[in-house]
This record gives sequence, C-alpha cells and structure tokens, in this order.
Amino acid sequence: MTVPVPAGDAPRARILDRGYRRYSGPRTQVRGAMVTTWRQSVQRALGLRRSTWAKVLPIASVLISYVPAIVFIGLVALLPEDEFIDSGIALPTYGEYFPFIQAALTLFIAFVAPEVLCTDRRTGMVGIYLASPLNRDTYLLSKAAAVVTVLSMVTIGPPLLMLVAYILQGVGPDGPAGVAATLLRIVGGGLVMAILYAAVSLGVSALTDRKAFATATVLLLVVVSSVFLGVLVDVADLPDAFHAVNLLIGPISLVQLIHGEPLVEFDGLTLPFAIAGAAAWTLVGATVCRVRYQLLQVTR
Amino acid sequence: MADLGACDPAIAAVRDESGCRRVDAVRDEHRGHRGGDDAVVVAEGVVKHWGSTLALAGADVRVGPGVTGLLGANGSGKTTLLGLLLGLHRPDQGSIRVLGLDPTAAGPEVRARVGYSPEHHSLPPDVKAVDFVRHVAELHGLPRREATGRASDVLWQVGLGEERVRPLGTMSTGQRQRVKLAQAIVHDPVLVLLDEPTEGLDPVQRDDMLALIRRIGDDFGIHVLLSSHVLDEVERVADGAVILHAGAVVSSGSLSELQATSHGGVVVEVAGDHRPLLAALAERGLPVGVQGDRIFVEGGVEAFDVVRDELARLELPVRRLEPRRRSLEEVFLSSGLLGGQARAAIARPEPPAAPAADEVAELSS
Repeated sequence: MTVPVPAGDAPRARILDRGYRRYSGPRTQVRGAMVTTWRQSVQRALGLRRSTWAKVLPIASVLISYVPAIVFIGLVALLPEDEFIDSGIALPTYGEYFPFIQAALTLFIAFVAPEVLCTDRRTGMVGIYLASPLNRDTYLLSKAAAVVTVLSMVTIGPPLLMLVAYILQGVGPDGPAGVAATLLRIVGGGLVMAILYAAVSLGVSALTDRKAFATATVLLLVVVSSVFLGVLVDVADLPDAFHAVNLLIGPISLVQLIHGEPLVEFDGLTLPFAIAGAAAWTLVGATVCRVRYQLLQVTR
Repeated sequence: MADLGACDPAIAAVRDESGCRRVDAVRDEHRGHRGGDDAVVVAEGVVKHWGSTLALAGADVRVGPGVTGLLGANGSGKTTLLGLLLGLHRPDQGSIRVLGLDPTAAGPEVRARVGYSPEHHSLPPDVKAVDFVRHVAELHGLPRREATGRASDVLWQVGLGEERVRPLGTMSTGQRQRVKLAQAIVHDPVLVLLDEPTEGLDPVQRDDMLALIRRIGDDFGIHVLLSSHVLDEVERVADGAVILHAGAVVSSGSLSELQATSHGGVVVEVAGDHRPLLAALAERGLPVGVQGDRIFVEGGVEAFDVVRDELARLELPVRRLEPRRRSLEEVFLSSGLLGGQARAAIARPEPPAAPAADEVAELSS
C-alpha cells in the first residue's frame, strides 16, 4: 500500500525487520497460568471473543434464568403494597427460586463443562496447556474454577438480584444482620449447587472428546437419576432421604434447607442427607475427572 | 525489574536466599554458551513403558547448544522423549536434566523456560491467531500487556503479520505450522521442542519453515530440538543430531562428527582432464568412482596421502580435496536401523536387523 507523502516531506526511515525481542521481566509462574486459563475458559463458555452463534446459547440460558427474578421484582415494584397483599400473590422465597429455572439450569450445566473441557482435548490445546507451567491438577483446578464461576451466574446471580431489589424496595430481610445472613445463604447455597453440578459435568466431559456426547450424557444423567429415584421412592416406598442423590431434586432441596426452609414434599430429606448426597456426587465427578486426566497421554 | 513474587513451591530448586530466582537469570546461565560444553538436555538410561510397549529402552541423550535434530522412524520414541523432557510423564528408570533441572521434580520451572510445538495440526478453529499466541504467552507467565505486544511481533516474525487476526480454522496447514512455531517462541524460551514442524507442508513451505528454524537458532539465540523423521531436514538446519532407534540412541553428536569419517575416503576435483589421475589411482590399487567432475576415492587415512602425491606428481590444478562426508542417510544405514517398536526387553537386546527398503525410503523422503 502506498501512503501519499507530501512533497518535500519524504519518509526518512521504514521498518524492515522488527527483530526478536528478549523478555527479561517478571513471570507469574503457576498462579499466572491458572488465572489466564480460568479467564480464557470463562470467556469460551460464555462465547466471548467468538462468533455470534457461540454466544446465543449461553447468553439465552443466563437471561432465561433471570426472567423469574425480574418478574417478581417487577410485581413488587409496580403493584402498591396493599393491592399486592390483597392480590394473594405469594412471592417465592430465595430457596424456592430454582424450580422456576430448572430447565434453563439443566441446559446450562449440560453445555458449560463440555465446552470448557472437551474442546481442549479435541483441538489438542490440552497438550499446549500441559507444556506450560501448569500440571494436570492445576489445569483441572483452573477449568473447574471457570465452570463454577460460569454456573454461579445462574445459581447465585438471580437470588442475589432479588435480594438487592427487595432491599431497595423495603421488603427485604430485617436489619443488617438479616441481610448478611440471607446473603451468606444465597452465596453458600449457590456455590454448593455450582460445585456439585460442575463436578458431575466435568466428570462426564472427561470421558469423551465430543461436546455433543458429553452434553447429552449430562442431560441423561440428570433426567434419568431423577426419574429412576422418583419411581424407586414411590414404588418401593423408600425413604425420602434417597432423593439426596437425585440430581434434580437433591441440589434444589439442599439450597432450600440451607435457607432454613422446610421441605413440604420430601420431609424425610434432612440437611445431613442432602449434604451427603451432594458430597457423594461431587466426589464421584471429581475423582472420575482427575483419574481420567492422570492417565491421559498428551504429547501426541 | 521485579522478582518472581509468585514463583511456585515446586520450583524451590531454583530459589536463592532472597526468594525466587528470576527466570531470565537462570536462563542466561544457558544462553551465550553456543559452542561451549554445556549440554541443554542430558538424559541417562531412560526407560519408559506405555503399558506392555517399551517406548524408550535405556536412551542416553545429550543435546548441545544450537539446533539439534532428533531423528528416528515413526515409533522410535521421539515423541515420548519430548514428553519426558517436558515433565509430562515420569521415566520408569533413568534420569533427565533439562537446562540443569529435573523435569519430574521442577516441571513448572522447566516448562516456563521451554517452548513446545506439538505434532498435531488441530488448533481451536474459532480463535484468532493473535489471541491464541497471546494466551500461550500468558500461560508462560508474561503479563497481559507484554503478551499482547509479543504475540503480534512474533506472528510478524514467522510471516503472519497480516494474517494475525484470522481465526485459526481458516488458515492453511502451512500457516498453522507457523502459528504453532510462534506460540512456541512467544515467551522467549531458552529451549524450544519442535515435533515434526514440517509435517504436511509442500516443498516451498518446508524450505521456509526450515529457514525459520535456522533463524530461531542463529538469530534469536534459542536452542532448538527438532524432532523429525526426514533426514534431509535435519541435515540442512541442525548443528547436531541424536538418532533414535527402537527406543535407544544409536548415534549422536555434532553433524560434522556424525558425517565425517576417517575411513570414508577422499573427494577430489581437478581442473581439466582427470583421466590421468584416475589411471594413477587405479595403478596404486585404490577403488575410485566418478560423478560429474568429482572423483570419490575409497580408502582409509592413507588414501588422502596417495591422492595428494599423485596430484603433485601429475601437476594437476586442484579445485577440491577433502575428506568424504557421509550423508545422514548413510549414517542411518550404517547403524543398521529399522523403525518400529522398541526391543522387547533391555536385558536381552536383539541384534539389529538389516534395514528394510521401504523404511529407508521413508526416512530419506
């Protein structure tokens, strides 16, 4: 390309070769590698710096999960207080929120981990990651942190939005202590749910290089475990505690119990059982994932 | 310059009393020794099994500074050796030192200073080249701003300056090979491991890639270990070579050492008619061959003296008189090499069989 040069102002120099620059500054070692892996994985899961199509599913899922919260906030904001009370509309508690977004939540957990983990193996990126200061464990830890972060947008974000909006409208928890306790329960419950689903979906994703297979398997696992346990408890008249390992009912019930809300349908499912069920799934998923990656041959 | 505040406990081996040692300080211990005795990689008696398959059968490897070729047929253990050098696997037996460090104990520290270009061509198709290279730079500890600048620079260096914002999936095989090379050197490593970097390239692209590799070794001052099964490539760019066969090193050293032979005879070229010289050499009982103007005289050390004496007696003007050098292909063949799996057991090594014609063809293709 020729750049017009004003007469009498001819260029005196031009770049022929930029040369190769040495780097003698500080290096962040493993911590920096983990942070950049986490950041890149979050971006990938949300479709950032990628094509428009790659953004559709994650952004739609996140938006859908916020819709009920926005509706509830709108009801509180638009209807006068006495009219709202007269209408008999009962706002859901923070623990009761998740059944409203069950479909979006299930879809979201089914595609986030496969996108983050399967893609690296399929494209050979895992070899490049493991040729960096990361090792298999720090690599998986970064990936797991990214999946938990993205899932938290759905498991923590909507109830948190409700809390903030309710406080602003004067219908939130009483006093700073009440707000702090509710905030802690929202974050704690959301994190537990995100970690549980991250472990399960990472465990499944570690077993195949194909995102579609992993997504389908996660969906099947959630649905089949729910149907199978539901039938088992009903037909065989097993205690409600068995619902602790139900991948749909278990985590949602656990969040309700963390919020101190009684379970009307499954009164036999207590907090210790719910925690044990969540811990079991988390342990199984994490173990499968780690063992698979310890055995992975990566230099090819 | 700030020091490595975030250095990992795993790299305690390179800490000093004041804390973490700087990567560049450690690196400089290995830079600037070109032509010296310092080995970049030393592996002794390395054994590695993959299940029941013996991939490395007691390999002793010593890689010096500069560009070194790692030669061997498919299945000879090249890629396994690269994985061990990166600390991705533990050897079943033997010891490895890379840049003076044990990669099994100080893997993160070794990998921070080593670049690696894998054999496979598949890269994330929807990621721009510059984003990909920047990400790898950050993985190796460069701050984000520095990584961004260096990613553009290094893509420019490998000839992809104009293409740097293109997604990798839209690039040709040659361009992707260049991107792989760029990501391997973006963090200014001390040593770069290139696994079959010319795989899938046409002859012109291959020449360009080899020139780039030579430039990395010469101009950038980065030591290169080039894994290849193509002898010609190594012969063109390498200072030295390590030849692997069936999981063991059968030959290694500088290229001049490998190719030179005191028993290989003499190459002589004279101005004008060379028939009197041919007749004189035949009379002295030395077997000769002629290729164009060049006369190849077989024999030991004495052949050189005989040729010199006859040239002087016949008063022939000399254009060339030098020891005959073997090509790497001849080195390969003289080692009696075959590709394939490693020997079944170290304790009972089988004598090497004669080379199969098709394997020799592959190695020299």
